[in-house]
Amino acid sequence: MGDSPRELPAGDTRVADGTATSLARKIPRSLVEIGLPVLVIAVIVLLLPLFIPSFVSSLVSKMMIYGLFGMSLNIIWGYAGIPSFGHAAFFGVGGYAAGILFLKVGISNFWLILLLAIVAAAVVAAILGFPAFRVFGVGAGAVNPIYFLLATIAFGEILSRVAIAVRPVTGGSTGLSGIKKLDLAGFGFRMTSGRYYYLVFFIVVVCLFVMYRVVNSHYGYALRGIHDNERRMQALGYNTWLYKYTSWIIAGVFGSVAGVLFAFFGSTMIPNNLAMVTSDIAFLLVIMGSTTTFFGPLVASVVYVGVEYLASLYLPDRWPLIFGAMFVFTIMVIPQGLGVFILKWWRRLFSGSPA
Amino acid sequence: MSQALVTGLNGLSYSFILFLLAAGFSLTFGVMGVLNLAHGALFVFGAYVGLQVIETVNAFWLATISAAVALAVIGFLLYYLFLKRLYNKVPEQAVLTIGLSYMAANVIQWVWGPRAQITQAPEILTGALKVGGLSFPIYRVFICGVGLLVLALLWWIQDRTRWGAIIRAGMDNKEMTVSLGVNYGLVSTLVFLLGIALAGVAGILGAPITGVYPTMGDNLLLLTLIVVVVGGTGYIQGTMLGALVIGLLDTFGKAYVPKTALFFAYILFLIILLVRPSGLIGRKVF
Repeated sequence: MGDSPRELPAGDTRVADGTATSLARKIPRSLVEIGLPVLVIAVIVLLLPLFIPSFVSSLVSKMMIYGLFGMSLNIIWGYAGIPSFGHAAFFGVGGYAAGILFLKVGISNFWLILLLAIVAAAVVAAILGFPAFRVFGVGAGAVNPIYFLLATIAFGEILSRVAIAVRPVTGGSTGLSGIKKLDLAGFGFRMTSGRYYYLVFFIVVVCLFVMYRVVNSHYGYALRGIHDNERRMQALGYNTWLYKYTSWIIAGVFGSVAGVLFAFFGSTMIPNNLAMVTSDIAFLLVIMGSTTTFFGPLVASVVYVGVEYLASLYLPDRWPLIFGAMFVFTIMVIPQGLGVFILKWWRRLFSGSPA
Repeated sequence: MSQALVTGLNGLSYSFILFLLAAGFSLTFGVMGVLNLAHGALFVFGAYVGLQVIETVNAFWLATISAAVALAVIGFLLYYLFLKRLYNKVPEQAVLTIGLSYMAANVIQWVWGPRAQITQAPEILTGALKVGGLSFPIYRVFICGVGLLVLALLWWIQDRTRWGAIIRAGMDNKEMTVSLGVNYGLVSTLVFLLGIALAGVAGILGAPITGVYPTMGDNLLLLTLIVVVVGGTGYIQGTMLGALVIGLLDTFGKAYVPKTALFFAYILFLIILLVRPSGLIGRKVF
């Protein structure tokens, strides 16, 4: 899928050297290198429910949803260099919007709910963006990162407290429950768990495609420029504030799509889905998957959901310990992230180099 | 009116607990450039160590000292095992310390159980001061006294000693300070340990007021960060002012409008961010 914005893989020169396979000479390199794994993974994921028990396919749904959640954060963190600590704010707004529209307003059309939830998240992101980028400052890592970090943590905490306070609408501290996917008639037929899997797959693929196009457009390259040297981008005439602000909204919108999918997936929304606990999941996915590859958080989400499932089977009481250990392990042992490893491995395989 | 005075004392003692936490946090951040999001978890750990000591030997003073020492040791390990390798990488430090605080909360729950622990203040400090028909709990007066003592000590170090001068110089320009032949590494490490030890002192002193349970670190961390931002970084008097504002706001809010009080600290925080991002008293950062 994604090329890394900054890593230059060792295999790259070999194509130009003429040592590459004949296949690579005929077909554009990126089509094979990116298209092939995408196609293979897509086919596997599509056919998977035919061969595996339904609880595994529900895990795969969760991997896709969390993957989207992590990748949406990666747009601002990995590409624009804005490490937001409150990404769950958008995840939760999307999920709560879906739950409220479905349970309290009584809209049953999935696409309408999705659209309205996206609008809600975009409005929230547009409002929160003003104080956030007032304190972000200019330049890589900003002057004093604690202010931005705290601002974004506070956004999620404030929203989760709002969710606790306005009980009639949001269900208070117990949250919303019974957001049943089975009642959705969006496709023109009744949704079932099995069909929901394909709905998640379809929406995640569309989102990934759009996000891929965004980060590899002129706009996406401007974001990378801001990450590397914001002052220079300003000198080149870019309104860097506007770029950061819009990327914040874009990331929020995709985060909210993950939230909507999650609400119907688990059929509940609780205030913690807006708070730091959930933001930390996105945070872990990005750092574990690597901020320098597009698909990294998706890989991390496969690992994360797998570990979470095993922990829930064998060590349910020690889950926070394992969760925390994943942070520490990632940052001390594989700080560059899983995505970079996979990319290197794939490039090496593709370029046919030994070892 | 009389009720307001008692609430005022409660708010004041809460402010001083917040001050101990926030002062420790901003010392570690300002001097070592370490963003320690495990500060809240360290507070809780200090409290539990103290409680354990009280349970075994029933000596409050010894408990306070051992909480401080235990945390200084942990801070030392934290620095040499992890943070040393993450110098100047603030998002990475944040990730590491978030992970560590999840782990710490779970380990504390594993060892001491999930239920809230309640401690009594030592006997000399129980009871109340009766002033003109009002009764003020002695323990809360005592906390204010300790807080003032620490404030005076830190202020004196900051403004009147050679160490304070080295720290201030290092915060302005670390390379220049080091190149003048000052052993900045030693000073900053000791100040870092002092900051973490303060979290332990806050933990055991605050235990009779706030109660102690394994997951309380998150909430305290958020309040601490808000105090630091509202007060501004770089000056101890800024931290004190921030702690006073947040502590009193929170206590009076809970006493008079309990439903909306939850938001007060956050709303004030957002206003400060928008209007005066460097804090009430702080170095200009923007």
